[in-house]
Amino acid sequence: MRKKLFVLLMLVSLVLTACGGSAAPEAPAADAPAADEAPAADAPAADDAAEAEEAPAAEEPVELTLGSWRVDDVEAWDAILEAFHAEYPNITVVFDPTNPLDYDATLRTQLETGTAPDLFFVRSFATGLDLYESGFVASLKDLPGLEENFTVGSLAPWATEDGEPYAVPIAAVSHGIYYNQDLFEELGLAVPETWEELMAAAQTIKDSGVTPFSNGTKDAWDINEVVMMTIIPNNIGGYEGRMEYLNGERCFNDADMVAAYTQIQDLAPYVPEDFTATSYYDSEQLFVQGVAAMMFDGSWSISAFEKDDPDFNWSVFAAPPAEGKDKYISFHMDAAIGMNPASENQEAAKVFLEWLESETFGEAFGNGVPGFFPVSKNVPELTDPVANEFLSFNQDAAGTDIRFVWEKLLASPPGTLDSYTAMNDGVIAVLKGEQTPQEAADSLQEAIAAWYEPAQNCGQ
Amino acid sequence: MMANLKKKLSRTYQENGIWILFLLPALIMYLVFMAAPLLDSMRLSLYTGKGYTPTEFVGLQNYIDLFTNPLWKDRFFGALKNTFTFFSVHMIVQNSLGLFFATLLSADFKGRNFFRTIIFAPATLSVLVTGFLWTLILNPHWGAINQALKAVGLDSWAKPWLGDENLALITISLTSVWQWVGMPTVLFLAGLLGIPDDLIEAARVDGASGWQIFWRIKFPLLKPVIGVVAILTFVDNFNAFDVIFAMAGARGEPGYATDLLATFFYRTGIAGEHPVGIPNMGMGAAIATVTFTILMTGVLLWLYTSRKNTDYL
Repeated sequence: MRKKLFVLLMLVSLVLTACGGSAAPEAPAADAPAADEAPAADAPAADDAAEAEEAPAAEEPVELTLGSWRVDDVEAWDAILEAFHAEYPNITVVFDPTNPLDYDATLRTQLETGTAPDLFFVRSFATGLDLYESGFVASLKDLPGLEENFTVGSLAPWATEDGEPYAVPIAAVSHGIYYNQDLFEELGLAVPETWEELMAAAQTIKDSGVTPFSNGTKDAWDINEVVMMTIIPNNIGGYEGRMEYLNGERCFNDADMVAAYTQIQDLAPYVPEDFTATSYYDSEQLFVQGVAAMMFDGSWSISAFEKDDPDFNWSVFAAPPAEGKDKYISFHMDAAIGMNPASENQEAAKVFLEWLESETFGEAFGNGVPGFFPVSKNVPELTDPVANEFLSFNQDAAGTDIRFVWEKLLASPPGTLDSYTAMNDGVIAVLKGEQTPQEAADSLQEAIAAWYEPAQNCGQ
Repeated sequence: MMANLKKKLSRTYQENGIWILFLLPALIMYLVFMAAPLLDSMRLSLYTGKGYTPTEFVGLQNYIDLFTNPLWKDRFFGALKNTFTFFSVHMIVQNSLGLFFATLLSADFKGRNFFRTIIFAPATLSVLVTGFLWTLILNPHWGAINQALKAVGLDSWAKPWLGDENLALITISLTSVWQWVGMPTVLFLAGLLGIPDDLIEAARVDGASGWQIFWRIKFPLLKPVIGVVAILTFVDNFNAFDVIFAMAGARGEPGYATDLLATFFYRTGIAGEHPVGIPNMGMGAAIATVTFTILMTGVLLWLYTSRKNTDYL
């Protein structure tokens, strides 16, 4: 009996020592050298990039992978990467997207296990910054052309507090209200210029038996990112207004914020009857089939709507402000591409990153994926009419701004409610009639003040 | 010393036979792929930090936060309550239906094989595909269920099934019951067919009705099978994730009504809150450890009570 036990114990301890201590000590060790490598790799790579442009034929063929959350744009991206390959025949970039909701988790797993792509899309602000601080994104402070080709505002979402960039911005998205032009003409409606006109139009549409707006809350992010954060700039005074909230000059439950929640309340009679079970894709289908007359949506849906090809004329107009207030457009810095510091082909990757600043890329991207607007100063002519319509909003408006909570308010300390969720819960509650706009704004202020210092002494 | 060891080992081997070698592959697989990761996860729950392998040791702080910090506490107990509801629906509806179908199928009638197949067929489908298809069927605008209800005139019954906080979890549970009812059916059927016919005939000779035969003879003899089915239901459903993920996402929408322990863990430890996407693996591991403890307690209780009735096991 004792002998059996002895043998068993020996084997068990052998196996345990073999597999114990595997994951934990390795990961922090892997982080440190990755972070050290990145700055060292920058200096020689800058020279290599210049050389690569002059003598591409002399280089060995390299294959890079590009990770992204744009599963809808595979064809367009393949065409864009073909254009790159034509200019740099020795470098091939393969597009490898992941489903958007799983992108962050998938990318992080890949980065932690060393199987991540050479290049990948980086989320703006806190999410990307967290990856950079963990050593998973290479610094681009020595990448030539960044300062010349981008404004400080465009680089900021993918730069540290000190202004060190870690990704090349490639796309901004705009937001607006898609509408059925034929139905508007039939009912004698003009494009609304004020919120009051929009509500009157919605009532007319409802009386004619058509659902005015197709947005629902089953995919909770839609009502938050696309509806609420589109109308917030109109109510608070755009970028300047948002800065006042972030500085603590205004509280998050002041009259302007309550006005924004009130506009959500105004929408309640005009959304589909079973809006709580209407998902984002249901909303798009309701619009495309003509069951709903309007949809708050982003410019990224242009290609989806064009593919669905509704049998009516459709276009988009900017969300109108209340009477007497200025119009601001939610023009959000959406995506940038960064480099994996553990990549084996860093010089080639930097060639690609530099190419992203060029007009060739801007044109291929802006026209290949209409609705995503290239961010560099080398702005090309865009061919898609709806994309140009979106861009025209920026001309008529008093200003543009990113989505309200993305800067500084997204990542709250563990155990506190982040502002995105607080706002989302409030918006849905107001739409369902469970909370008044004031109560929702108060809960937003309470959630943010729990951890964000300027909000704790706000309004003074 | 090595020579002594060798002698001891070879004597053990000769004396006790080969059973150790037979056990070894399974034991190694179990230790490497199940026991070691489990213990390592429990170790991770004592740390905090960024990414999937946190490095800052905080002891039991994660557990303290989980049970006292209002935000964590609300989510955790909400998830626990929902998981328990999910499990109860399965226990009551799925297993009763399973027993009912098994009783019907134990009689010999025309088409019995056909019914056996269609009752079991959904269990062979992919869980995600089933979830997505049922989401479409339950869709308020285009789904078959609401359209059928409206066609018959029962408009008030055509509710937003997956959008209503009171209905969403039950709806998803019933979808899962539809898919898995074949399992208890098959198990109970095997149990029923194992009951000797002489007992049934003797009871019939004594004048017992069908109802009495079922409750006085078949049901008591099925107790061990019921025990096995109960514990399988308990373990499978406390871990449920895929059907909820397919039909309602990992955020427990609407309003955390469909948040289970597994989706709560996924949202905390792996995916992070949308759209920030920064995971908190230390807390995630704590949630997973608590789930494991609950499951372990349940299974140990079952093992203990079933040991007492070892006549049939």
